Amino acid sequence: MKFLKVDMSKRSVQFQEVPKAYVGLGGRGLTSVIINAEVPPKCDPLGPENKLIIAPGLLSGTPLVNTSRVSLGAKSPLTGTIKESNAGGTMAAALGHLGITAIVVNGQAPKGDLSILRINEKGEASLVSAQAYKGMRTYALAKKLLETYGDKTAILCIGPAGELQLAAASVQTTDIDGRPCRAAGRGGLGAVMGAKGLKAIVVDQRGKSADAIADSKAFSEAAKAFAQAIKAHPFSGQMLPALGTAGLIAPVNSMGAFPSYNATKGVLEGWEKVSGEAMAKIITERGGKTTHMGCAQCVVHCSNEYVDKQGKYLTASLEYETIWSMGGMTGITDLDAIAKLDYLCDDIGLDTMSTGVAVAVAMDAGKAKFGDAEAAIRMVEDVARGTDFGKVLGNGPASVGKHLKHYRVPVVKGQSIAAYDPRGMQGNGVTYATCPMGADHTAGNVIGEYLGGALDPLKADGQVAASRNTQIAMAAVDCTGLCLLASFALTTPEGGQAFLAAMNAKFGTNFGPDSIPEMGIKVLRAEREFNRKAGFTNKDDRLPEFFYKEPLPPHNKVFLVSDAELDSTFDF
Amino acid sequence: MFGTFCRKGAAHDPDSGLEVEIPDGARVKDLLARLGIPESAGAVAAVEGVIVRLEEPLRDGACVHVLQSVYGG
Repeated sequence: MKFLKVDMSKRSVQFQEVPKAYVGLGGRGLTSVIINAEVPPKCDPLGPENKLIIAPGLLSGTPLVNTSRVSLGAKSPLTGTIKESNAGGTMAAALGHLGITAIVVNGQAPKGDLSILRINEKGEASLVSAQAYKGMRTYALAKKLLETYGDKTAILCIGPAGELQLAAASVQTTDIDGRPCRAAGRGGLGAVMGAKGLKAIVVDQRGKSADAIADSKAFSEAAKAFAQAIKAHPFSGQMLPALGTAGLIAPVNSMGAFPSYNATKGVLEGWEKVSGEAMAKIITERGGKTTHMGCAQCVVHCSNEYVDKQGKYLTASLEYETIWSMGGMTGITDLDAIAKLDYLCDDIGLDTMSTGVAVAVAMDAGKAKFGDAEAAIRMVEDVARGTDFGKVLGNGPASVGKHLKHYRVPVVKGQSIAAYDPRGMQGNGVTYATCPMGADHTAGNVIGEYLGGALDPLKADGQVAASRNTQIAMAAVDCTGLCLLASFALTTPEGGQAFLAAMNAKFGTNFGPDSIPEMGIKVLRAEREFNRKAGFTNKDDRLPEFFYKEPLPPHNKVFLVSDAELDSTFDF
Repeated sequence: MFGTFCRKGAAHDPDSGLEVEIPDGARVKDLLARLGIPESAGAVAAVEGVIVRLEEPLRDGACVHVLQSVYGG
């Protein structure tokens, strides 16, 4: 258990024991509690006072499957709020193997100075010059870094968008195959990393100084049972390995809740051409991989390798949210073009969701026609070229709306919504409005309630409670390093018991079923407290006006949850 | 049929779907049984954009999307 403190102003690195106040925290819990305690709430997100925290989950680096999420946290330049964004790949396990609880990056390098933070197999850390990599895109960068530091290296890095400190810049991380195709995309944390003067963090994956497991025999038994629960669940055991998250395209379009053409329709014309089923067929015919292991210790294998007609790699992994933002929102129904846009965003270091929605807002404002893939590709390339419009686009949808004087901008606190329209899934609208980090689907997705028949997605009744419960649960899951997609196994008796047993065996604790929501509530309280100090009020917990005024076809509903109901979401 | 269900049954064309005859008054769960999808598979049906319960009767000519339950992505 140790922190690695990095001061970019002094170019110093130092290990220290985890301060008592932070013991027992991991992932989002740790990033959010540190930021709330140590970052001045009104500071410039791109200034020296902001801190970038990189924290593996509580169980990352243990033998428990699907615990390879690493949380990145800071004050967001996109939203102005506290922010946590997590990614899969290999970094969480690499840090866990070295017993590193968090990397805390403070200060700011002199303008123009660019560094790499390197942590070797023995856990020794150093800052080395990255001047040679200035402006480099992430695929070329990852290739160079793997050549330099060896193929057993996990990489977190930024592309040109992060160096330009654009508010939609992502932090990319490498998958099992060393490709920088996994992203902590949301909230512009790539810009924070760029502002610090940090191009990449490289960590040797072969560390052997992981924190001890209190009861290794009990842990091993629990881990085996939890893996079985994940495999036995129809979603994580069957659907995701076959179609990946793109399997959601059919259900959400079938419900009329797939925000299309910049959220003016709830069904994308021709969605069948970009569905998970169509994608799997194309990949199979071309010799790509429909099932692929993207993250360390994964048993779900939801990833894929999308290839072109000649069988050449185009991107990995093509996901539901990207197909939506680059396809549904823009009206593009050519999967090859969407794959190209996904690759470009990963390579330039941009959030695919904010970028796709920014393109859609530009199209809606008349800059290009919906469905024009070439125009979309040009716009995204403009970001890397650093053109005036590229900078506008790279700062996200709100920036595009302001620049083009267009009112229909589907963002909350500056961050774009995700692939569930709040008028067709009212509970997801509650999550977008009230989440402390701006519109964020992973913070509390209610879709399972609708498909399970527990809740009517088109009525206001019950939506606040459903959103509250999922937001609490997800805040807790995000502390553990557990992948969201594997976490649904927690809802089964076998999975829930096995996971609690693993936590208790790891830490020698006696967590019960109530301990998990308590953890989530603690995180949400810290996040909301930071936002209050930063100047946010209940009035910021609202959707844009057009969601209340423009009915969404085919159900022709508007967002129905009242302000008073929204304000009761966090009544704890 | 969508999700992994679309791979079941040789007669199913994922692009055009499948025409199925069921008795008058048949419900969603009767359709799923006719398609060989067990209740344990967690199938969900949508008719004209609305998720319907397994007990819901189906009208003649209804276009039904048979979906797998999903939880998030």
